[in-house]
Amino acid sequence: MQPMENSKIELKRSVPLFWGLHARPGMVFGRVLGLLPVAFLLGLYMFASHSRHRVNPDDKLMPSLHQMYNEMKTIITVPDKRSGKILFWADTKASLQRLGLGIGIAAAASYFMGILMGMLPGFRALFAPLVTGLSNINPLAILVIILVALGVGENSKVFLVAFGIGIPMMRTIAGIAERMPGELTVKALTLGASQYQVLYRIVAPQMLPRLIDLIRVSLGAAWIFVIAAEAVAATEGLGYRIYLQQRYMNMALIIPYVIYISLLAYGSDLALQGILKLPCFRWYGKTED
Amino acid sequence: MEFIPKPKPPVTGNEALHLEDAFHGYFDPSVGRVRTVLNDIDLIVSRGEFVSLVGPSGCGKSTMLKLFTGQEIVQKARHFEVLGRLPSFPDRSRGVVFQNYGLAPHLSVLRNILLGLEFQASLLQRFSRNWWKQARDMARNYLDDMRLSDASDKYPTELSGGMRQRVAIAQTLITIDLFGMPELICMDESYGALDASTREDLQIFILKLWEKYKKTVIFVTHNLEEAVFLGTRVVVLSQFWTSDQPAAQQEGSRIIMDIPLEPHAMSTEVKQTPEFKNLTKYILDRGFNPKQRLHVAEFNADLRHPNAFSSVTREQCATALADGSAAAAPQP
Repeated sequence: MQPMENSKIELKRSVPLFWGLHARPGMVFGRVLGLLPVAFLLGLYMFASHSRHRVNPDDKLMPSLHQMYNEMKTIITVPDKRSGKILFWADTKASLQRLGLGIGIAAAASYFMGILMGMLPGFRALFAPLVTGLSNINPLAILVIILVALGVGENSKVFLVAFGIGIPMMRTIAGIAERMPGELTVKALTLGASQYQVLYRIVAPQMLPRLIDLIRVSLGAAWIFVIAAEAVAATEGLGYRIYLQQRYMNMALIIPYVIYISLLAYGSDLALQGILKLPCFRWYGKTED
Repeated sequence: MEFIPKPKPPVTGNEALHLEDAFHGYFDPSVGRVRTVLNDIDLIVSRGEFVSLVGPSGCGKSTMLKLFTGQEIVQKARHFEVLGRLPSFPDRSRGVVFQNYGLAPHLSVLRNILLGLEFQASLLQRFSRNWWKQARDMARNYLDDMRLSDASDKYPTELSGGMRQRVAIAQTLITIDLFGMPELICMDESYGALDASTREDLQIFILKLWEKYKKTVIFVTHNLEEAVFLGTRVVVLSQFWTSDQPAAQQEGSRIIMDIPLEPHAMSTEVKQTPEFKNLTKYILDRGFNPKQRLHVAEFNADLRHPNAFSSVTREQCATALADGSAAAAPQP
């Protein structure tokens, strides 16, 4: 240890901040870097918007930030004349409710059916062809059929979300359960487990965090289906509002709504990530062998 | 001279394993027929024995264990009894310790060890707080014995390989005290992934538990030294043998050696003695050498265990009978 203190050798090497394989942007500069392209695009938009407004003060295609702010302020604070509701919150509630119900049904069904199909060969033989067939149906293509069959109310929208993400989720869960090392099942059986105990003590708990991961992956598709269903037939909802305002080319409201929907999607992804960080899922993600 | 295959010992009813003329194979799509893996296996193992099952890689050791646990069913056999009956599917009478994947990844070490008790508990016990307390105390005792008490709340992936394997063994054996099960413990290359010193620790660990419970252990390993050190009997399964029959009937492995060892556990120092080294070398030379195939007529010399027998037919060793070499098997 002694010679080290006296040594005068420079023990540093130059690490590039940005360029090359060895670059280490660091915390602060890394964040700044990440903001650069965003700021660039935002600036570009504001410049374009400003130029258009100079030519035509009534331009609706590229509203200024100020216009967007005013539109949002109106919809958040001023109650609707006809219904007396604050439309922004009514839209949020309606969309989230459809999304939540759809995802909930899809998750429950795919968890239950996926585990059974993955673990019980008889069950797999019975349902796998049907599920494979259904998964090849484009949910948006049968939207009209769903609307006719289930009406234009909430049922059809929830069904579209549940069907659209539930069937692929079911297949994925079944696949994961099927590929689980067979030794685990044998081991449980030799410890005296009944066949059902193998399912609900060994397989089901291991599938739970995977299900949550799967929901995260499916969130994007779920949002697509919600917005699409609302675009076709609805009286409120974030997607409905966007398509309604499209008639007036009211970009000043549409653009903030799009950003809002993106933030909601990001938030729900973070929430699900948060669930996976709970102590009861500490074992998950440490996939060593 | 007359060639007499080693006769079958009398069946006493105290057998853990009773196999006679057992054949097993798998369909091989590349040749379009079933390829024999186990060819005419004869094996009787008494209860309480510690059998080391060794053989060159690909000889079907693990396949044999799968037949014992019930993961697969033997294709043809005159007798195939494990604990007195043809094994159906895996159940609590036959425990198993795998090389990997022994532990439920979503349960802590303590919960993993409790798993067997939980599965086998009666309805009454399952609802009795007292019984659970007792079970947990038992599991903690095991953890203390294994120097794993600090790890009881950890998950399997947070443990080293040796620790994991100790947990897996405890998980398999803890039900013996309360339920008397398992009666047969199959260990499938359980120590295959461990380093030398951990391996030796666990060898002593399993011997201690075996001395305590005296349950039958079938220990599959590719490590000869380990096999000879642990077992009360070492059985060599090998595909390197020959007979006077057409080549098609010489496919698959046979038990070519069956050697009795000390009927009790020994200290690790025995590994350094010349007798130990000679025996390991002898088995290695005769059982593991693809170039020097043993003739079925020579098996008798190496089927030394009192329970060993073979159902070699006269056709299989016609030439050996003619020139008398059947009797001239070398002695170690």
